[in-house]
Parts: sequence; C-alpha cells; structure tokens
Amino acid sequence: MRTLSSLQRRKVVTESGDSLGRLYDLRGELTARALTVSGLVTGKRGLLEHFGVLRRKTPPIPWSDVVRIEGKRIVVRDR
Amino acid sequence: MSKIFGVALGILAAIGGFVDIGDLVFNVSAGATFGYQLMWVLPIGVVGIIVYSEMCGRIAAVSKKAVFDAVRDRVGFSAGLGALIASEVVNLMTFAAELGGVAISLQLLCGLPYRWLIALAVVGLAVVIWVTSFEWIERIFGYGGLCLLVFAVAAVKLTPDWGKFGNGFIPHVAQNNSLLYAYFVVGLLGAAMTPYEVYFYSSGGVEEEWTPKDISLNRANAIIGYGLGGFLSVALMVTGATLFLGHGISPAHLGTIALGAQVPLGEIGLLLALIGILFAVGGASIDTVFSGAYNLAQFCGWEWGRYRTNVNAPRFTLTWIVLLALGMGIVMTGVDAVVLTEYAVIFSVVALPLTYIPILLVANDEAYMGRHRNGRLANVLGVVYLVVIMVVALSAIPLMILTNVGQN
Amino acid sequence: MTEIDIALKVLDHQILDREGRRCGNVDDLEIEGGPGETARVTAILVGPGVWAQRARRIGWIASFVGGGRRVRVPWEDVTEVESHVVLSKTAEELGLGRGDDRLRPWIEKIPGAHR
Repeated sequence: MRTLSSLQRRKVVTESGDSLGRLYDLRGELTARALTVSGLVTGKRGLLEHFGVLRRKTPPIPWSDVVRIEGKRIVVRDR
Repeated sequence: MSKIFGVALGILAAIGGFVDIGDLVFNVSAGATFGYQLMWVLPIGVVGIIVYSEMCGRIAAVSKKAVFDAVRDRVGFSAGLGALIASEVVNLMTFAAELGGVAISLQLLCGLPYRWLIALAVVGLAVVIWVTSFEWIERIFGYGGLCLLVFAVAAVKLTPDWGKFGNGFIPHVAQNNSLLYAYFVVGLLGAAMTPYEVYFYSSGGVEEEWTPKDISLNRANAIIGYGLGGFLSVALMVTGATLFLGHGISPAHLGTIALGAQVPLGEIGLLLALIGILFAVGGASIDTVFSGAYNLAQFCGWEWGRYRTNVNAPRFTLTWIVLLALGMGIVMTGVDAVVLTEYAVIFSVVALPLTYIPILLVANDEAYMGRHRNGRLANVLGVVYLVVIMVVALSAIPLMILTNVGQN
Repeated sequence: MTEIDIALKVLDHQILDREGRRCGNVDDLEIEGGPGETARVTAILVGPGVWAQRARRIGWIASFVGGGRRVRVPWEDVTEVESHVVLSKTAEELGLGRGDDRLRPWIEKIPGAHR
C-alpha cells in the first residue's frame, strides 16, 4: 500500500541505469467503478513541468514496464 | 432594461469600492512629493488589476473555483501552503491598516478617543458582516464610497496646471530623487493591484454561482468599474500635487488627505470626503477579512461563503471573527495606520507573484477552462503583467529599505 | 473510460459530498498494487494528519496546528471526478467535515446565526 505523494518526485531509471527524469504524475484510467494506474508521467525539465507549463512530449511509461519500486527510485524496463 | 440597471449598480459599487487606504496614502503622497510626474503609473496599475481580476473571474465562472481552490489544485500542497501563509500575513496587515483608517475617519467625524473607536469599528464591522447579506454589504460600502467623487470635483476646482498634468501621463524616469521615485512607482502599483481584491472578487463569483454566460458581463463590470475607479486615484494625486507639493506638507495623516476636499469646497467637502473615506476603507476592511477567511477555507477544503449562512460555514465564520480580533489587537498597539499601510502595500506586492503565476497557469489550462482559456490578447497582457509584477515584487523590499519606507 | 493525469485531476481537489457540501480536499491517494500487478487507487486520504507526508517540515507543523486527523474514504464512494471530486455518501457517513460539525453548535448559540 502506497500513497501517490510518496511516489511523486522519485527518480525514474531504467534497469541499465539510464535516468528518465522524475515522476510527476500517474496516468490513470477512470471508469465508473475504479481508477487504475496505467502509466508514469515523468519529466526532466524540473519545476516548470511540475507546474505544467511545458507539456511533456514523451508518452507516459506503461505501468507494466515497472520492474521494482525502491526506497528513493522507481526502476523500469529498458526501452 | 433591469439588466442594464443591475450592471450600472455593479459598476457604481466597483467605483466606490476601488479606493482603499493604500490608494489614499500612496496617491496623495505621490502627488505631494512628485507633483504630476507619476500619473503614468496609474493607468498601468488599473489595467493590471483589470487583467488579473478578469482571469480570476473567468476561472470562477467556468471552473467554479476561487483563487485558492485554483492555486492548491494547480501547484500542489507545498507551494500552495507557502502562498497561503504569505497571503494570510499580508491580508492581516492590510486589514489592520484599513481598520486603523476606519478608526481615524470615525475620530475625525465624531472626536471620540481613538482606542474606543477601534473597538467600536470592529464590533460594527462584525455586526454588519453577521447580519447583512453579501450583496447588501457590497452595495452599502460601494455606494458610500462614491462620496469620494468629491475629490474629483475638488481636483478640478483646485485649478491644476493641466499642461503638467497631461505630461504626467507620459512615462518618464525621475529627474532627481530616483530611488524615492521608484519606491512610489512600486507603491502605486501595489496599491492599485491589491491581491485581496482578486481573492474577494473570485470568491464572490463562486458564491454568486457565475456561469460562463456571466463572463462578458463581469468583464465589462470589471473594466468599467475599475477604469472609472482609477479616476478617483487620479483625483487624489492631483489633490496632493496642487495642495501639498512644494509646501512641505506630507500627508502623513488621513485628516490632511481630507483637507484636499475641504480647501476648495469647504465644510461640505470635508464631510463628504470623510464619509467617502470611511465607507471605502470600511468596505476594504470587510473585503480583507473575508479574503483571509476565503483563502484559508479554500486551501483546507472547508465549507465557506457568506451565502452559506453563518451557521453552515462554521470554521469560515470563526476565521473571519478571529481575523477581526487579531487586526484589532494590532491596531490597539498604537502602530501608526499610515506607516502600517505602507508596509502592507509593499508586502502585498512581494506576495503578488505567488498567486498571480498559478492563476495565469490555470487561466491557460484547457482542462480547467475548456474553450474559455486565455486567448492571445489575454496572454499577451498576462505575460506583460507577469514581468511587471516580478520586477516590482523583487525591487519592493530593497527600495523600501533604501528609502527608509519613503522617508528618504 | 477516461484517461486522466491523477495528480493533476484528483489530488488537491475539493471534495463534495452527496448533498454538495464541501468536506475537505483530496490530501493524498492510496494506491494498491505493485510492479507486475494491476495498480489501483483504493482510497482518498483527507485531513491535516495527511499533510505531514505532503510537505515535510512545514507540512508537519501545519498538520500539528490542524489537529492531525486523518480520514480514509474508499474509492468506491467516489461518484464523479470533474471540477470537484463528488462522493456518493454524506459527509457525516464518511466522517468528513467533523471540524464544522463540532463548531456548529457554538455558532448557533449566537443570535442571527442563521442569516
């Protein structure tokens, strides 16, 4: 059991160690009954992206690509 | 027909409500110190508050969110909390300054001791808020503030040098005393673009359940109301320039400001000026206290609003009562109302970007605004004023220190 | 099915109960399911007690000043996520808006409280 706030701002890296930026948001699929997490919204440009000024062009990383969630970071499959 | 009547009434209330103690102090002082040289700053300030209010009003109408709803939504909890703390401190300082102004005007009108009048003013304001509906509060203080038009009449009667007056509208840098000149530029802009004005305006919009259909009406209301209200600021500066410039009189007291109407128009001028000041500053007191309560309630997610009735928004009600008490405490310490006003205006200016930036972001956000998001004109103005606000916010405190709060 | 950005569209938004009463903001969201599983938002977390995890030191102070209460609202009780997050039950049923409920009797004692 996690909270959204605890995931935000964690570094997102691939298994080989490439940095994909920080997690700013989670993409979700909202239905009448549930809200499922479908992807990670990451960004490298920092504060401006967090405030949504520069919309990220890269699509969210699918949740299925997440390999593990560690103390300070999230590890995803190599792209 | 009755719609036009309603709009006209709204405009009148906006004019009367435009001036607060910051405008009284800074506009008259600017005239007394620099004559007409700072006139050009006033239209910039008026357009600035129109741009900011219009965005906030549109956001309220389309997304049903007032400023702090939108701020917290958009920039998140920690940035929102920072903005909240800054805004509450500034709101409280501003309220204390306005309350001091109310007490001083009462004292000039009836001569009772100052400290009694502070308590009387607070009790009076509390009763008015408790008992009166939102619309009637706006009307009473808005129409009462129209008495300030006496300054417009007085300004003309004082036969200003119209040539120099006209020249004042052309922007130029100071010939001498440039630090003090810059301080007044900052102060005049801060007095015109008071943040509590937009907190109150947008919360009022949500209270009155504006919809996208109300957007153009309220835009017109804001433009005409604030635009005409700006004339009162011009009149105040002219008063300062014709009466006080060169005579070494610095209007450090509200009574001196009221002289601006007495000299050309006699006792009736003085009376109207004092009544106008009382209502304008009294209305501003209520606006600031409400703004403080609105902001806290919106940030925390509490039920809020005068339309909910006192009993159905308990924490909101308690907040404005506590703010009244805190403001009274500050004024009771005997701090000079004019000095407090200067500090309040300068600090508002510093805090201005903290809410302006999120509002500019929300006004542009399609998810919040749909097809009502900022068009090109709104964005050009929005960004221009962002630059103005940032420059002013960053230079405010250094200028305040360097000019010793305008004393030089 | 709509695709949304969860922090942008849900987090920090105003919560309204079934009767349209404001009863808090979405202070955090509980997510269940880890890597390799379906991850779902299972609850909304509301209350000053939740603020400490949002903003470290200053959040902790705010949490303390606010009284430290936390309420968990299961996601099943959410009917709508638009401008506000709307719930299918009343605030009382969910334990929300308690601050207002506790203060109301005091305000009611003052004449004119229903104006």
